[in-house]
Amino acid sequence: MYGLQLDQLAELLGGTLRQARALAARWASAGLADSAVLSLGPPWVWLTRAGLQACGLRYSAGPPALARIEHIRAVTAARLALQSVPAYRDGGAHWRSERRLHARLGSHRGARDHLPDAEVHWPDVPAAGTPPDWAGECWAIEAELTPKTVARTTAIMRELLARTGDYGCPAAEARVAGLPPRHIRAVYLCSPAAIGTVLRARESLGSRTNRIEVRLLPAAAVLPGRTPA
Amino acid sequence: MSRAAGRLAVRALTAAAVVAIAIGLLPVTLVAAIGVAAAWDGGWQPGRLYRAAAWCLPMLAVWLAATAISRHSLAAASPQLAWLAVNRGNYVTAAVLIAPVAVPAGLLAGGLAWSFRLASMAAQAAGRSPAAAVSFDDRQWRHQVRAAKALIAAPGAVPLLTRRGDFAGGAVIRAVGHPARELSVLPASRLRSHQIVIGATGTGKTTLLLRLWAGYLATARPRQAAGQAGPPLIVVLDCKGGADARRVADRARRVLRSAGAGNVAVWPDEACLSLWTLPGRQLITTLVDLIEHGTGGAAYYTDVMEAVVTLAVEAPRGPPTSTADFLARLDAGWLGQAYSAGGYEGQAALARSAARQVPDIALRFRTLFRRLGPGLDGPGGFADASVWYCILEGTAEVAVAEAQARALVDLLASFVTQAPATTVLATKGPDASPDRQVLLAVDEFSAVARRLPIWQLFERARSLGLSVQVSAQSWHGLAARQDDRYRLAATAEGGIWLLGTPHPDPVIALAGQRASVETSRELAGRLRWLRHGSSRLRDKPAADPERIRGFEPGQAAYIHHGGVTFTQIKPLGAGPAWQASAPGPGPGGPNAPFPASAALPASTVPPHVAVAPADPGLPANPVPPEVPRLPDVSSLLDAAFGPPAGLKP
Repeated sequence: MYGLQLDQLAELLGGTLRQARALAARWASAGLADSAVLSLGPPWVWLTRAGLQACGLRYSAGPPALARIEHIRAVTAARLALQSVPAYRDGGAHWRSERRLHARLGSHRGARDHLPDAEVHWPDVPAAGTPPDWAGECWAIEAELTPKTVARTTAIMRELLARTGDYGCPAAEARVAGLPPRHIRAVYLCSPAAIGTVLRARESLGSRTNRIEVRLLPAAAVLPGRTPA
Repeated sequence: MSRAAGRLAVRALTAAAVVAIAIGLLPVTLVAAIGVAAAWDGGWQPGRLYRAAAWCLPMLAVWLAATAISRHSLAAASPQLAWLAVNRGNYVTAAVLIAPVAVPAGLLAGGLAWSFRLASMAAQAAGRSPAAAVSFDDRQWRHQVRAAKALIAAPGAVPLLTRRGDFAGGAVIRAVGHPARELSVLPASRLRSHQIVIGATGTGKTTLLLRLWAGYLATARPRQAAGQAGPPLIVVLDCKGGADARRVADRARRVLRSAGAGNVAVWPDEACLSLWTLPGRQLITTLVDLIEHGTGGAAYYTDVMEAVVTLAVEAPRGPPTSTADFLARLDAGWLGQAYSAGGYEGQAALARSAARQVPDIALRFRTLFRRLGPGLDGPGGFADASVWYCILEGTAEVAVAEAQARALVDLLASFVTQAPATTVLATKGPDASPDRQVLLAVDEFSAVARRLPIWQLFERARSLGLSVQVSAQSWHGLAARQDDRYRLAATAEGGIWLLGTPHPDPVIALAGQRASVETSRELAGRLRWLRHGSSRLRDKPAADPERIRGFEPGQAAYIHHGGVTFTQIKPLGAGPAWQASAPGPGPGGPNAPFPASAALPASTVPPHVAVAPADPGLPANPVPPEVPRLPDVSSLLDAAFGPPAGLKP
C-alpha cells in the first residue's frame, strides 16, 4: 500500500473520519507520516521514511504517484472489502501488496514482467479456525479501472496463470513447465467500463477460464465526488 | 594298420582317457559343466569363472587349515570320505565334504574349457561347419544382451556413479579391447573431455545424452565441494528445434532436476539471456557477425556497418542495455548528438560521413531482432541456471538459428572468460566463478554451422577449457565436410558413442583393427567339412559394423583408444513415479516421455490440484499444468464484492 485516503483509513481502523484525521495529524507530528490533498475527496496519508522504518519496511518513501491515485484507491478499497469478510480473517489470509512484490524484485524486474496489484496467500492451516476449501492457494488480485485491449488483458492473464516462481526468483524459475502454478486463480475486480474487456479476455483462455474470477469493484473504489465510469 | 586307422585309435584312446578322468573326478566335472553352462547362458567371458574360482580360495584355505589341525597332516581324506558317503547314500554329506576342493577346481576347469571353446570358435576351427562360428557368436550376443538387460532392470544395479566416483553408463554387453566388466564404467575425467555421440532417431540417443549430462553434473559436484573447480554448467544447443526439441527439453528438465541440477532453463521459450551483457568490443563483433554479409565488394558495407555499430555501442553514455536502446542509437541524429560533446571530433566526423548508410543498417538490425525474438534481450544470464537447454530452429529458420547460435556461443565464451570482479560475480555471486565446469553439448550443429563451422566451435570451446559433446543422427550430420568430421572425431579424447546408425563404418575405422585368426576348412563333400585346413592371422575391425547396424534401442558402442565396449544404456528415472511407469526399455521404451507429475514434489502440490501431462509442443509462453476442479470461492467473493450480477459465468 503506497498510501490511502482518510476515509479508507477510518474504515480500516473502524472509526470516524474525524478520528482518522486526528490520528494522521499525530503521525505527521511524530514524523512518521505525511498528509496532503492529492485528489478529490479527503486528504491522502502515507508513511515517511521514518514511518516505514518504524514498521520495519524497506520501501522507498514518497507520496503516492499522482498518475496512479485512482488505481491505488481502488486496490485499497478491494483490500478493505476482502478483509471485512469473516471468512478472510478466519482463513488467516495474507495480503501481499504490489509494493512488497516490487520491493522483492528490486532492480531485477524485467521489462516483460507483469506484477499483479496484490497477492492473497491462504495458509494451509490458519492460526485459528478451520481451513477453507481453498487453503494453500495463492491468488493474484487485479484491479481494472480502465479497459486495456483484449489481447493485452489476455496476455496478462496467461502470464499470471503460467507463473510458477515467486517474484524476485531467478529468471529461469519464473515459468517452469511441469511445476504447479504460483497463482491458482486470479481475481479481477473491474470497473463497469473495464468489465467487458476482462470478460472477453477470460473467454479466450479456454480451459483456464475457471481460474479467473471476475467481480465489480466495490463502490468505495471510486474517488469521492467522482462519478463511476 | 593304415595311418588313418592309427589316428582314429589315438583319438579314441584320448577320448577314453578324458572320459575316464572326467568320471574319476566327477565332482570337478560336474562343477565345470555347470560353470560352462552358466557362462554359455549368460554370455560370460572365461575371466568370470576364473574370478569365481579365486573367490573360492579362502574356502579352500580354511578347509586345508581345518584338515591340518584335526589330522596333523595336509593329506586330504575328503575324497575318500566322500566316496564312502556316496556309497552309504548320503549325497549331501558327500557334496559338503568334496566341495572345498571340487568347486574351485571345477570352476577353473570350466573356465579353461570355456576359454578353449571361445578361442576355437573365434578362430572358426570348431563346429560342424565354418558358419557355426557365426551362429555361435550371434547366440552369445543374444545371451549377453539378455544378461545386460537383466542387469539394468535390477534396481540399484547400475548407479550413475560407482563407489570410486566413476561414471557408469549401463551394463556391458561385450567388450573388445577394453576390460570386461559388468558395468560400462568411464573415469570422471573422460566426461570432462570431448565426446561424440552418433545415433539415429529412436535408437536411445537422448537417453544416453541425458545420462551423460546427469553423470557430468554428478561427477562435477564432488570437485566443486573439494574446491577443485567451480559449479557445473551444462549448455545444450539443440539445433533442430520444433516440437521434438521441446519434448526433449521437458524430459531433460525432469531427469536433470532429479539428478541434482538446481535450475534447468529452456531458452528461448521460458528463459532469456541478455546479449547486452557482453563487453563492449565483444558486443560489436557479435552484432556485426549476426548480420549475414558477403565478401569482396560487400566487405565495404561490412566495414561501414561495423563503424556505425561501434559508434552506437561505444557512445559516451555507455553501451546499449536493450534491443530498443540499440535500435534507437542507429540513427544519424542520435549518433551526431551523442558525439557532439568535445573530445569526440573523430567519431562525430565518422557519424556524419556514415549518415547515409545508417538507415539501411538500422533496417537490417531491426529485421534481425524482429526475427530473433526476445530471447536475447534479457533479463537473464548463464549464471541463473545450472542447465540451459537452448532450442534453435535450425530446421525451420536456418538463418535465424545461425545468428542465435553465434550469439549464444559468444555469450557463453564471455561468461566463461569474465573475471570474478566483473558484473556477473557482483550480481550473481560465487556461482559465476570463471573456473566453472562447463559442458557444451551441441546436437545437430551442422544445421546451423554455415557461418560458424563446427570445428571452429570445437576449437574455441577447447581453448576456453570447456568440455564439448557433439551429437548427431549420423556420421554426415557431424559436420558438412568430410575433413571436419574426421577432425572432430580425431579430437574426441573422451571417446565416441555409437548407437544404431546405418553408416557406422567411418567411426568404426577410428576404433582400429585387431588381429584375429582366420581358418579355412577343407570341404569333403556336400555340406561336410573336414577338420583339416589352414589358419592365418588377419586384421579385422574392432567393432563389427553389422552388429552396430542391428543395434536395438538403448544399445551403444563406446569407442575409445582402439577398443570397443558394447553397452546397454541404463535410462535415468525422474523419480519413483517414472520408474514405475517406464522401467528401462520396457513397454514405454527408452524414449518414452516421463509423466509430468513425476517431477512434482508432492508437498508443493495442493491436494486438489490435478497435474496434466506437459504439452509436447510447448507454446512460446508455456503454461504450467492445468488446475481443474478448483474449490468454489463464490461465497467469499460474493460477501466481499457482491454477486457477479450481470456477468457471464
